Order: sequence, then structure tokens, then C-alpha cells
Amino acid sequence: MQRTRRFRRATRLVGLLTAGALLAACGAGGRPDDGEGKTTPDVGITDDTIKIGGHFPLTGVAAPGYSEIPSGHKAYYDYVNANGGVNGRKIEYVVKDDAYNPTNTSTVTNELVLKEEIFGMVAGLGTPTHTAVVDFLNAEKVPDLMVSSGSLMWGDDPSKRPWTFGWQPDYMIEGKIIGQWVKDNMPDAKVGLFLQDDDFGRDGEAGARKYIDGQIVETVRYTPGNTDVAPQLAKLQAADVDLVLGFNVPSYTALSQLTAMKINFKPKWFYSNVGSDPALVGSLLARFSEGKVKSSAALLDGVLTTEYIPGVDATDSEWLKLWQKVWDAHGAEGELTNYRIYGMSQAYTFVQALQAAGDDPSREGVVDALEKVGATLEGPGLAPFRYSEESHLGISGMEVVRLKDGKGESLTPVLVTDIGDAPITEDDSAAKDVPPANGIPDVKPAS
Amino acid sequence: MQQLLTTALGGLTLGAVYAAFALALCLIWRSTRIVNFAQAPMAMITTYIALVIIDAGHSYWTGFAAALIGGLLLGAVVERVVVRPVEGKAEINAVILTLGLFILIHAVAGIVFGSRYRSFPAPFGVRGLTVGDTSIALTGFGVFTVVAVVVVMGLLVLLFRYTEVGLRMRAAAFNQEVARILGVKVGRMLTLGWALAALVGSLSGLLIAGGSLVHPAYMDSVVVYGFVAAVLGGLDSPVGSVIGGMLLGLSLSAVSGYLGSELVPLAALVILMAVLLLRPGGLFSHHAERRV
Repeated sequence: MQRTRRFRRATRLVGLLTAGALLAACGAGGRPDDGEGKTTPDVGITDDTIKIGGHFPLTGVAAPGYSEIPSGHKAYYDYVNANGGVNGRKIEYVVKDDAYNPTNTSTVTNELVLKEEIFGMVAGLGTPTHTAVVDFLNAEKVPDLMVSSGSLMWGDDPSKRPWTFGWQPDYMIEGKIIGQWVKDNMPDAKVGLFLQDDDFGRDGEAGARKYIDGQIVETVRYTPGNTDVAPQLAKLQAADVDLVLGFNVPSYTALSQLTAMKINFKPKWFYSNVGSDPALVGSLLARFSEGKVKSSAALLDGVLTTEYIPGVDATDSEWLKLWQKVWDAHGAEGELTNYRIYGMSQAYTFVQALQAAGDDPSREGVVDALEKVGATLEGPGLAPFRYSEESHLGISGMEVVRLKDGKGESLTPVLVTDIGDAPITEDDSAAKDVPPANGIPDVKPAS
Repeated sequence: MQQLLTTALGGLTLGAVYAAFALALCLIWRSTRIVNFAQAPMAMITTYIALVIIDAGHSYWTGFAAALIGGLLLGAVVERVVVRPVEGKAEINAVILTLGLFILIHAVAGIVFGSRYRSFPAPFGVRGLTVGDTSIALTGFGVFTVVAVVVVMGLLVLLFRYTEVGLRMRAAAFNQEVARILGVKVGRMLTLGWALAALVGSLSGLLIAGGSLVHPAYMDSVVVYGFVAAVLGGLDSPVGSVIGGMLLGLSLSAVSGYLGSELVPLAALVILMAVLLLRPGGLFSHHAERRV
């Protein structure tokens, strides 16, 4: 633990030093100075464009699913651009592949900030990856919005990282909500934790332990990249675990299911939202189903998970109708998937933030606006954002669902909470938000 | 007990794959005296060939055979086209070339097959056996993996020890000039060595892919562990490679299960260092007298 923390601090330091050296090297560049005392617009924004960027794993171990998120962003920005943009500005989204490797993330973030000169980072994906660049972005005062990860780091301490905002519910509140549900509904279950060995697993574990510390009989961690999880599952099996709680990415959901088959391990499974996309995991498992199920999505039948935005299964949701319309008109190849919807939902929030920052948004203006009105934004999220001056954490809650035929059947109302010892309460208010008729938000400037 | 059994059996099957890969490295080493780093992506490409054929509706075994033949051809082509021009120069040239090839094949696979995960079928069940109350974490495919590797090892031992071709290959690798004077067609032997090694490499690719997920980088960890296994066995001995692979598979599986999966690469490196320090020739090297 101590070692990893020190190591992380060291990586951050090295990253910072590298970034610093790079900056010093190109110190002569920077902002154009018109010398007439007029306010110069911020980097990355002109009268008719705004350039933003994001880092995603387009290749490698985390690519399945996640690589689709930027295509959702692009489709929605294209839709907004086709309808006149935001205050006349077209949004240009530059996506770089970091292959889920923090070293690459540093490189591509340098490229985005220094070479592409983006206005802000939007939806950069991954806990280990984004950790490598979050201090650099804050030192450079680059807005770092809607990080695609549920680590607490993006919002629990805005004084430390004033430019960074989370978006999805953080893993700790997810762990709490899952923990409470298990405590209330499966009080006799012997729980085993299957965790990714980083903040993702750690935050989720901390949340779950607030409710079911006594029920957890074994904890195993996998290292992303090592695809052999048999030793880990054997350990859970040896501890007679009958409910596995997984804080893992989708490919490891597939691997854990496959491995469980191999070692005859038949517990109940509860995967956190991140790893539970039935369409993606089902497609990976379909080949091994031995002809017993009709559709590949049904392979995860009975698996418990959580939801915080309406996905492809929410066929009567107005949001899904909007996403489908956007995807049909501006999407890339392929179907509308939950990952693309995730991207579009984030893009929707970004457009709201931009509108809230007024006619001539500055980098600082966007951050201020989100702190001021972020908590009141209406969007696809089932629960409201927690954005304020004290917290940059995102959506505040989710519901517990059971998968059936690729669809999530609600087991609870929307449960809302916060980090720490905040109680869990029911709050369906944000779940009733509907999109405006033209599909583009209309947020008034915050100041 | 159950955990120990499951961990051990898992380690054994995994070890068999490392063994197959080590065999391929050993084969190239024996026939050309270089280490082929491109072995992993070459095996990855042939596995994808099998996957394309299987996805087109053909049987698993058609894909399996196609991958092996593909490996054979790919090995021969790589030797003729890429490695031959640096033949006779320092061995490091060829080794660096194979590193370049590693990157190239990766990129090509990414472009042609895409980089997403895909599932790869297995010809036998992927469900473990149960005997009474004890579950035996050995799938039909796991048994096939171990058997296939042992058979290949046997064939290689026979080839090198009891056939004339094997003798010529060893001669060509050991000393090209002398071999040439003795009438060995050295060029042909080198091509054959590469082709056979690529074939065994393809087999290891198919074995690790079966019943699991593949993507262009899925063989990359195997190249590291396969290399450790080969060094453990002495790089020179097929039997050593297989035992080295099995030992490594068992140790890494135990490390992962009892100590933590984050320590697996570290454990592999510790083993590698220990072997290089204590027995630089490997556990099974018979050629100490050759060193100067």
C-alpha cells in the first residue's frame, strides 16, 4: 500500500518534471499577444470553434467497450454542430489513443495540451491513466472535465485539483449502495471481492465494507494485463464464497465467467456498473455458451449490477430516443451501444457546461459555471450531480438492477448518497428529466 | 486442498503453453543460434488466421491446420526475406531485426484484424471436470494442451537425435563453414529451422487462445514467460524447455494465487536472474564443454 502510494507519487513527480522540462523547452510559444490590451481569448477557442480533447484506450486490454465512448461524443458534437453549435461555436473533439498505459497518457496529453492546444480535456478515460496527467492539467490550468472513471480523486478535494471534475458516480458510493443492498437482501451470503488492483477496486471495497465488512470472507485482486485469473477465483472458491462482488473492467467479467466455468465455481455474481455491459460481455462469452442460451446477452442472466443512466435496454426512455436519433444521423459505423450512450451523455453535460459559461467562455469560466449551476443541470443521469465549490464529484446515485435478456430489471428506486458516512436515501427526482425537443440543452449563463 | 489442486492444475496448463513457446525458441536457437523475438506476433497472426477460417464457418480443426501450415510458411518466408540478408553478420543484427518484426507484425494485425478482444473457440469442453465433490480444474482443452506439448517435444527430440536432417540442422547451426564443407546445404537447413520453429510457435498461440480471448497483444506476456522457460531449460534442450515451462507455470500460478497477481512478472524475473546467476547454461544444458 505504502509502496504503491510512494510509487504513484514518484510517477507523478517524474511526469511533472517531464512536463515542466517540455514546457521550459517551448516557453517561447504560448498565447498570442495582440498587444492592444484587448482580452485575449483562451487557448483552443475562437469565435467559431472550440477545440477539446480526450485520451482513450482505442487499443489494448481496456479497448473493448471503452473505445466506443469517443464515437458517442463525436456523434453528439456533430449533431450540435449541425444545429449551429454552442453560441455559434463548433465543437472539435480530438481523440488520442493511450492504450490504457499511463506512460502513453502523459505523452498524448502533452500533445493535446501543447501541440493541439485544446481548450480543455473532456472525458479522459481511466483511473491509472488519468492519474498520470491530472496534476499536469491542473498545473497548466486546463479544464479537466467529466473524467471517465469513478475514482474519488477527480472531485473529493477541489482545493487540490480545482480544474478537475468527475462525472459518473464514484466507486465509493457505488460500493456503499451495493453493500447496503447485499446487507438488506442477502444477509447470509458469504461475500468474496474480485477487485482490480488500483483505486477502482480500493474505493469500491471501502464503500462496500461500510455495510458488509463482516460478510466479506475473502478478497482477491487481479492485475490488468494478466489474463489468468484462475488462481484468484480458486482462492474465492476455497473460501466457500457464494456471492462474488466484482469491481472489474468488462474483459475481466468475461474472463472471470470463463474461469469459473473451468474450475466449477458457481456463486452469484454482482458486478459493478463498469464491468457489466451485457451486450459486450455476452458477445465475448457467446462462443462458449455450449448452445444453451438463445441470445448472447442472456449469458449474464441473473447477474446483479447497477445503472445510473438509461442504456440501450431502456426502450421507452426519451433519452434513448434522442441518442438513437443522434446516432442514426451522425454516428460512425456500428450499432448504438451503452458505451456510445455513455459518451453522448457526457457530451450533453459538456454542452451544458459550455452554455453555462456564457457567450465568451474562458477556461476559468467553465469551471466556475459548473461549480455554480452544476448541481441543477438536468440530464440523462438518474441522480443529480454533486458539483459545488466543495465537491467536484459527479452523479450522486444509481439503482440496483438484475440482468435478464440483456436488460436491467430495477430492484430498487434510485439511491442517492455521497462519500464518507453520508446516508443512502431514495431520490427519483432526476430520473424524470426529459431532453428538450430539439435534443440540445438550453442552459442560461451562470453569471 | 481444493485451492492447491486448482492452482496447480491451472499452472500446469499454463506451463504447457509456456513450454510450447519455449520449444519454438529452443528450436530456432538450435538451428540458427539466434533468439527470435518476433515469435509471439508470428504466432498471434497465425492464430488470427485460424479465427478467420473458423468464423467463416469451417471446423476448428481446419482452422487449426491452416494456422500450423501458415506458421510453417511464415517462418520460411521470414527467414528467406528478412533474416537471410543479415546472415553471416553479427548475430545481434538478426536479433534486432526480429524485434523490428515484432512491432511491424503487431501494427499490421491491428490494422487488418482490429484491436478489440475476440473470443477463440476450443475444440473440447471449457468446463472443468468433477469427481465426487472435488472439482478438478482441468478442462478437455487443458488435457489436449498438455498432451500436444509433450508430443511435440518428443518429436523434436527424435528429430534432432535420431534423424539425418536433425543432425544437419545442428551442424549448420553449430558451424556453418564446417557444415558446408561436409556437404550440408546450410541455407536450406536454416529455412527449415525457422519454419519448424514458427510451426511450434503457432501451436503455442493456438493453445493459449483456445477457450479464451484474443487481441493483437495477447501473446506478449507469453514471449517473456516463454523466454524465461527456455532459459530455465537451457535454450538448447527440448526436454529442458518443457520442464522449464511447466516449472514456471506452476510457480507463477502459485505466486498469483497465494501472494498476489501483481507479483507475477517480478517472480518471473527473479527466477530468470537466479538461473542466470547460478546456472547460466540452464538446468538442462549439456554443452558446457563448448564454452570458451
